[in-house]
Amino acid sequence: MEQILFQHNKPGRCVTFAEYQTEGGFTALKKALAAMTPDEVQQVVIDSGLRGRGGAGFPTGKKWSFVPRNLPGPRWLICNCDEMEPGTYKDRILLEANPYSLIEGITLACYAIGVRHAFIFIRRGYEQAAANLQRAISEAAAAGLLGENILGSGFDCAIDVHVSAGRYICGEETALMNALEGKRANPRAKPPFPAIKGLWGGPTVVNNVESLANIPYIIANGPAWFKATAATPEAAGMKLFCISGHVTHPACFELPLGMKLGDIIGGPCGGMRPGSSFKACLPGGASTPYFTADHWNIPMDFDPVAKAGSRLGTGGIVVFDHKTCMVAATLNLVRFYARESCGWCTPCREGLPFVVNLLETIESGQGSDEHIEILREHIKYLNYAFCALAPGAMGPVDGLLRHFEDEIREHNRNGKCPCRS
Amino acid sequence: MPKLIIDDITVEVAEGTTLLEAAQSVDIPIPHFCWHPALGRAGACRVCAVKLLDGPVKGIQMSCMLPAQEGMVVSTTDPEAVAMRRHVIEWLMINHPHDCPVCDEGGECQLQDYTIAGGHGIRRYSGKKRTHVNQYLGPYIEHEMNRCIQCYRCVRYYQEYAGGTDFGVMGSAGRVYFGRFQEGQLESPFSGNLVDICPTGVFTDKTARFRARYWDYDMAPSVCPGCSLGCNTTPVARYRELLKTVARRNDAVNGWFICDRGRFANSAVNAPLRPRHAVVDSRESCVEDALDTLLLRIHALGELHGPGSIAVVGSSRMAQEAAELLPQLALRIAAGALCYRTTRKESTETSSFVELVHTGSSASQQDVRKSDCIVVYGCDPLNEAPMMAMAIRQAWRSGATVYVIEHKITLPCEFTLRATLDDVPLAEAERPVIICNLSAETDQLDKLLEGHSRLKIAPLFPAANSFGTALLMREHGAISLEEALADGEIKGIISIEADIPAALLGKIPFVAALDWQATATVQAAQIVIPTTAWVEMNGSYINYEGRAQHFSKVMNPGVPVKGLDPAGHPPHIHRSTATGGEALPARQLLARLIKLLDDGNRGLS
Repeated sequence: MEQILFQHNKPGRCVTFAEYQTEGGFTALKKALAAMTPDEVQQVVIDSGLRGRGGAGFPTGKKWSFVPRNLPGPRWLICNCDEMEPGTYKDRILLEANPYSLIEGITLACYAIGVRHAFIFIRRGYEQAAANLQRAISEAAAAGLLGENILGSGFDCAIDVHVSAGRYICGEETALMNALEGKRANPRAKPPFPAIKGLWGGPTVVNNVESLANIPYIIANGPAWFKATAATPEAAGMKLFCISGHVTHPACFELPLGMKLGDIIGGPCGGMRPGSSFKACLPGGASTPYFTADHWNIPMDFDPVAKAGSRLGTGGIVVFDHKTCMVAATLNLVRFYARESCGWCTPCREGLPFVVNLLETIESGQGSDEHIEILREHIKYLNYAFCALAPGAMGPVDGLLRHFEDEIREHNRNGKCPCRS
Repeated sequence: MPKLIIDDITVEVAEGTTLLEAAQSVDIPIPHFCWHPALGRAGACRVCAVKLLDGPVKGIQMSCMLPAQEGMVVSTTDPEAVAMRRHVIEWLMINHPHDCPVCDEGGECQLQDYTIAGGHGIRRYSGKKRTHVNQYLGPYIEHEMNRCIQCYRCVRYYQEYAGGTDFGVMGSAGRVYFGRFQEGQLESPFSGNLVDICPTGVFTDKTARFRARYWDYDMAPSVCPGCSLGCNTTPVARYRELLKTVARRNDAVNGWFICDRGRFANSAVNAPLRPRHAVVDSRESCVEDALDTLLLRIHALGELHGPGSIAVVGSSRMAQEAAELLPQLALRIAAGALCYRTTRKESTETSSFVELVHTGSSASQQDVRKSDCIVVYGCDPLNEAPMMAMAIRQAWRSGATVYVIEHKITLPCEFTLRATLDDVPLAEAERPVIICNLSAETDQLDKLLEGHSRLKIAPLFPAANSFGTALLMREHGAISLEEALADGEIKGIISIEADIPAALLGKIPFVAALDWQATATVQAAQIVIPTTAWVEMNGSYINYEGRAQHFSKVMNPGVPVKGLDPAGHPPHIHRSTATGGEALPARQLLARLIKLLDDGNRGLS
């Protein structure tokens, strides 16, 4: 299968600067700086149909186009590498194997938007990735591919790596900007949106690692080629899917967007573990409602997954086998979100611990059917939280109630968890 | 001017007005914790949910976050909005203690009100309540973190509005903690406002804790006598003891807040040594006898030393109503001098400044907050009139440039030092303000005012009614006591709430003092008649800008019940006045004295 981001991967080590260059690295940057205007670069990205790989799936080129053209003062690009969604580890795998695509992609994005200073906001635990990026930045700068007057084009671009102090909420783009400014990582009110007023009040674009790392290949090979790499005509490009859970080969794979869920689990993942059968999965990280065996043939692309009642999210697929108690699994996830709430708004700060309490009650066999109703109320009213953390946290609870209400009732009826002997 | 419909009422509001304020403008209250007019929107508590039925935005929205837009149809009573608000209260009550009866905030608690209003009564959460360790925050403010509902008002006020740095928010999720890095007294000179701004009982006034419930308070709108700014307050009393003072909103003056110096200043009113009874020649007397004796002494002194041997002395801390009567008294006893000031320096300085700003060029605190260029000239606002420093900070936060003319001071904002007034680009400013005290050269300011039509001046006077008494000085040709005593003709002084230095009193054979404080003058006087403190009467002060402000009577005068002999309370002999409650406002005593003098002249006595 054709690989885009993983094409430079070397077994057991990170690709070197020289290898990346001989394999065609930085040709896109050279091409763009020599022969394309920033608007043309932006147009190619729009035409490619690339959608943000960080979870929301917003078209990347369109996001760039929201930045006002002739605004004085600095503008910023932030690469969001605060990958803390449970079940998601694609950015780490990518950066540990190859940091150069990202550096080239950021430089191209900066050229397209008119940014002269970009930041990579990286999760604290990603020490190897951060070291790779630092090395890649100095190598690129030494080669004249970064810094002032890149390749004699007159275009300046600097990249700084900022290691996060580490909280899930830092992945929310406005909280990330507060953290970068040295403030508490509380999300900001929108509007104003970051493209108008973001980091230090300037127009700011926040893109995911994977989105930016795809840019050089789109520029080098053209939008039509990129679109064609997907599995369906509606989808565009490849996607890093990171699979974990009860499959035979859990790993991060670069697969065509739109590949069917069953094909992913049955193909590269090698199917379920021996003796296990598929019960459910989180299709795109821990904040997405569950998929069940009914969704086996859903194409894993943004719109089809949304249509099926979940979200493609980050592409972090967590697979549960037939022995998993879905109440306990959900409880584990919501506990994480309750802990990771920034504490700013009431629904998230107080509502999530309430949900944890309800799930604990049910899981321990002390629950009754009225608890299901309270859970339902919380699914509805946690939507009105300040940012997307609490609604996201309720994703698996929503899935639990939609697909596994019988299992909850069984807990309540038996006074114990049916999955425990 | 967007026009919208809120609960079937058509409302037209200014651009940028939030839905919450738009609703308030037609008397529709929407519950809120984190939103505060002085602090703006936060969107943290989520209790102000409303439902938008039609228009550009639809569904459940937070009314504090959403600016009113043309064509919006808003319902505050929609079942879904009500349910959302009920859930917020339920979430907040998960961890808030259920002990209102033993909480000092009980009865004046926003959370208590909304919990009852929303009908939340049955606890569905079965877990334990979260608890915190409290901090010692100094002698004035008590900290009870368990009561916190994380509205972030305190930290937004303390850091953003007041510029404090030693108090903030720590932790995340359910462990969010508002306090100091380590225990210790809060450093901000405006920390007392935490008590007012906290919607529950996390911060309470330590000096008044558990002394009274809200419904038992004696309270009335009042004005702070601490400096010449005239910040609006609501003093709170119970059983004839002044318990505490809270800020009262006045957008033109202090806004929503007051300084700690004005807030924690109850001791003078409650002082055990306050003159509570009339005293004649060191013997306790009654007010009538003391007034009669005073009349006799005035006559005797006149016969002995001739007319003009008595000086009538007031001060800049007396209420305007009493100050207005001093010239009448002086006229009737043919006083040798009418004085409102002790030193000649202060006398000439206040007069020339009143002259300067009398033309309407004085800047209110609101003018300072809205200014774009502020010059602090030869004064120290943070020490002389703290709320003026707070106003300067608000202007700075909105982008004003603050200049300090070479002077070693601190301000709660950034500022630029300049050598002289001429180095400040006043001409480029839209709304420039110069803040000074009486040490400034009025001639120079006068010239600047002539040169800059938009320029305003805020002179910080030494006392609450410096301005009002200075007007009287001009009208009645009053001189300073220093000048009056210079030729040695004055043999008697009638002091009305005046703080006369002992050195000046030494050579005066006769002194009568009408005062509510145990001053040196009271100690030296042969006749003492108690007056009432500002909280014990109606009256008015004229502040530094020439704004006359009325203050109302909060409590009756008298020894606080707490200060009485326990055996004597409850009283077994019932009287119409409380123990030590004979004190009268100075204006009433003066009026009586004047009437007695008039009656005497007409041969009635």
